[in-house]
This record gives sequence, C-alpha cells and structure tokens, in this order.
Amino acid sequence: MELTPVLRSEWLKIRTLRSLPGALLALFAATTAFSAIAGVSGTSDPDFDPLFTALSGVVAGQIAAVSFGAMAVSSEFQSGALRLSLAAVPRRGRWFAAKAAVIAVPALLVGLVTALVALLVARAGLGPAADGLGTGEQVRGVVGCGVYLMLMALFAAGLAALLRSGVATLSLLIPFILVVSFVIGDATGTVADFLPDKAGQLVLRETYDGTLGPWSGLGVTALWTAGALLAGAWSLRRRDA
Amino acid sequence: MTSIEVQDLTKEFGTARAVDGLTFRVLPGRVTGFLGPNGAGKSTTMRLVLGLDRPTAGSATIGGRAYSTLREPLRHVGALLDAQAAHGSRTARDHLRVLAASNRIPDRRVDEVLEETGLASVARRRVRTYSLGMRQRLGIAAALLGDPEVVMLDEPSNGLDPEGIVWIRQLLRRLAEEGRTVLVSSHLMNETASFADHLVVLGRGRLLADTPMRDFIHARVQPRVRIRTTDPVALKRALAPHGHEAVEHVDGHWTVHHARVDDIGRITSAAGVPVLELAAEEGTLEQAYFDLTSAETEFTAQQPQEA
Repeated sequence: MELTPVLRSEWLKIRTLRSLPGALLALFAATTAFSAIAGVSGTSDPDFDPLFTALSGVVAGQIAAVSFGAMAVSSEFQSGALRLSLAAVPRRGRWFAAKAAVIAVPALLVGLVTALVALLVARAGLGPAADGLGTGEQVRGVVGCGVYLMLMALFAAGLAALLRSGVATLSLLIPFILVVSFVIGDATGTVADFLPDKAGQLVLRETYDGTLGPWSGLGVTALWTAGALLAGAWSLRRRDA
Repeated sequence: MTSIEVQDLTKEFGTARAVDGLTFRVLPGRVTGFLGPNGAGKSTTMRLVLGLDRPTAGSATIGGRAYSTLREPLRHVGALLDAQAAHGSRTARDHLRVLAASNRIPDRRVDEVLEETGLASVARRRVRTYSLGMRQRLGIAAALLGDPEVVMLDEPSNGLDPEGIVWIRQLLRRLAEEGRTVLVSSHLMNETASFADHLVVLGRGRLLADTPMRDFIHARVQPRVRIRTTDPVALKRALAPHGHEAVEHVDGHWTVHHARVDDIGRITSAAGVPVLELAAEEGTLEQAYFDLTSAETEFTAQQPQEA
C-alpha cells in the first residue's frame, strides 16, 4: 500500500470534521488575543522578557493545539470507527504515520502564522519596551513557537492513541499544562525544566538561564513527543482493534 | 474467484475462548448464512478474517492471502461490522469519500453506491441525523464501495424497515449471482432462510454445521403432511394400518407427522377419504436450528458429569 492515498484519506478526515479546523481556529484566536492583552498590560515586572510577553498567548493557545491532536486521534476510538479505518488501511504503522503527518503539518502552519501575528499584535501594544528585540530572536521565537505547538499537538495525539480516549488525554494534559507547570512554575534549575511544555517554551524567551537553551529545550519536548507517539503506535499495533 | 478460508482458528480473550478451533470455507457464487446465538463467535470470526483481531492460533485468509497483505483491501473485501462506525459529524458522502480515498477509489463510485443504497438524496446530511436503518444502508454502501469479490455483513437487516429487508435480500441474491462470495451473519432465522444457500452455524465458538441450507433443514426436521377432510373418522381409519397418526388442530386441519405427502395421498385416495386439502409442510430453518442447538446444549450440559 502506498502512503499518498492514506495521507489523502486522513487529511480528508481532518477537513470534514468541523471540530478539528475549529480547534485550529481557536488556537489562532486564543493565542493572538492573549498576546494582545499581554502587550498592553504592564511591563514593570523586573523579569520582563519582551519576546515571551509577546508570545505568551501560546500558554493559553496550546490547549487548542493539544485538543486538536487529541480529537483527531480519539475520533477513531468511537464506536468501531477504528475497525473501519484499519479495514481500509490494514498496515497500522503506516496508517498511524499518516495520521501523525496530517496533525503535524496543519498544526505547524497554523502555529507559525499564529506566532507571527501574535508577535506583531503584541509589539504594537508593547511599543518601545520591545525595541531591544533583534530580528534573529524574533525569527527564532516565531519558528520555535510553531514547532512547539506542532509538538504539543503530536504529544496529545500519541497519548490519545495510547489511552484510546480523547477525554482521558485532555483531562490528563490540560490540568498538567495549566496547573502543574504553573505551580512548579519559576522554580528553574530543577527537573521541572525538563517537563514537555516548560522545556519547549524556552524557545519563546529572549533570555534564559539553566541547563537548557531554546533549541535544546525544544529538543526535550521533541523527545517527549517521540516517546508518546511511539507508545501510541506500539499500543495500536499490539492491541486488537 | 475468491473464497474465505478459516483454518483451525482460535481466539481467546483472557481465559474465555470466543472462537475455538474453527475450520470452514465460504465459497463464491452463493450466500452463506452465518448463524449462532449471541456470543457464539460470529463477529469475532469476522474481525479475525479482517485482521482486526489477532488469532490466538490458526489462520483466516481471503483467496489464500492474509487480509493485512492485500493491496487496497476495499477492492477485494467489503465488510459491514458496525453501523455506528461512521462519525456523526461527517456527512454520509464525506464518510465514504474518506474510505474511498485510502484505496484510490474514485469519488464517482461514492455517488454510485449512495444511489444504489437509496441514500443519494440524503448524502449531504450529517450521519448523526440518520436513523438506524439509514446508518445500516450507509454501512452497506461502504462495504460495496470497492466493488469487492468478497462481501461480509454482520447483521445487515438490523433496523431496516420491511422495504429495506426486501431490498437487502435482493441485494444479497444479486451479489451471489454475480459470482461474489457473500457471508452474512444473522440471528433472524426466517430472514436468513429467505436469502441463504449455505449455512455455517456456530455455538460457543465451535462449528456446529457447515452445510447447504436445504440439507440442513431436511436432516433435522421430519417431514409432515397437512390435510383437511370432511370425514376425520375415515381418515384415522385409513391411516392407522400404515402406522400413521393424524393430529387435529384448532382450526380443523390435521397434521400427519413423519410422513411424506406422496404416501398419504395414495393411502387416502385408496381408502376413499374425502380430502379438501393435502400439502407437504416444509420444515423451517428455525425448527432445524433449534433442533441443532438443543442437542448442543444437552451435549455441553452432560460434559461435567463425564469429567
């Protein structure tokens, strides 16, 4: 079986479920809105990081990215849908690879556009406070943000395949993103630096300290994502559909 | 043409054996009815044939090949397992287009099967607005999508209205006449009797029968003769010397058990019994099936005593 028809079929699945393009739209809307608010809010914080402030909408927006990845996979685990899919494409590894690809590409593209717009909108609010930002840092922030959102969507997709449920995945990930990382929060220099969201968000900062840099932080997130996807693929191949 | 071959197939879920050393073949050009009570292993067997579940032992192949090795499998095998499998938020047409795309089946074919299953006018409605009968038709449309040589349907008449039941009967007959291999599970006996040529009967995961339907009924249901007469006394007197006994029914007709219509006709004629009606009563699939399963129940009930 060739990969192209499988990719086309999986892409059609994403396009024809209203909730999935909806999640990507929510990703854009939430991120730019929160970044815009951050842009006009105070800049008096001594730890003020203009790049992170401009892209801080991602902290909220990533929930939409995670939902997108989780729902794209979990729709297969409702009432026998997976059986139908695997009867059409019995090579499970190939099928899951196609599924991951049609999650990754739109998440990356929407993530890049979102990051760029969020940066521009926030900078309009920040005004001179963000003038110190170099072009290189801003490009790094936007590209890194797109990649980060893609990795989070795939992380959720892998977990959803492992847990065979979107509800279970989201009720694990959303509190994790909102609460755990927030509570451990600024305690840098601990294992918390290596949490999937915390590590990946380093790429959004102008300045950083600790063991991880922006790209190595994103690398840590990529490892988490790879682990989740492999676990999902393993579960899918091993278990009865 | 392609047949389904099941060889020593066994599937265990934990300690329970859903399918137990099953061996049979489903041949092309006829409709094979797949019978058995709930939990007999019919659906599990179908999932094993489709490579969705992995067998504990044995094999199931299509034309000698494992399903998972088929290139573009929908072009070889069409299956309906669960009418609820279509996502409620998708339109019927999109649901079929997704399946078609994965096996490089043109969208033209999607519109053909929608037409064939009578869904063309509602094809752009979301599946969640569909009745069970319409979902069933959509599942059948999906099975026919790749114009497959092998068609496997699990309880296709579920939720269909009387018109739909006639339609599915004609569809199954036509598919078999076109030389396809057709396996249809059901627990509705009269329904199965109306379309099946051959039967595969399961009980507790084991094969109870694999035989032409006519033979299955004739081997298990004794022939009976239905007779109406104006002179019951003469009838009884005529039958008695030949060892036959007539039993009266409430509406006034008589049944002679274990008898053939040819014999009874000659006897009554020779004795001059006035006969208003004389007919052979065909055994039904239902009677034959219950005869078989009750024998099986006794057999399994005795086992602990033997042990």
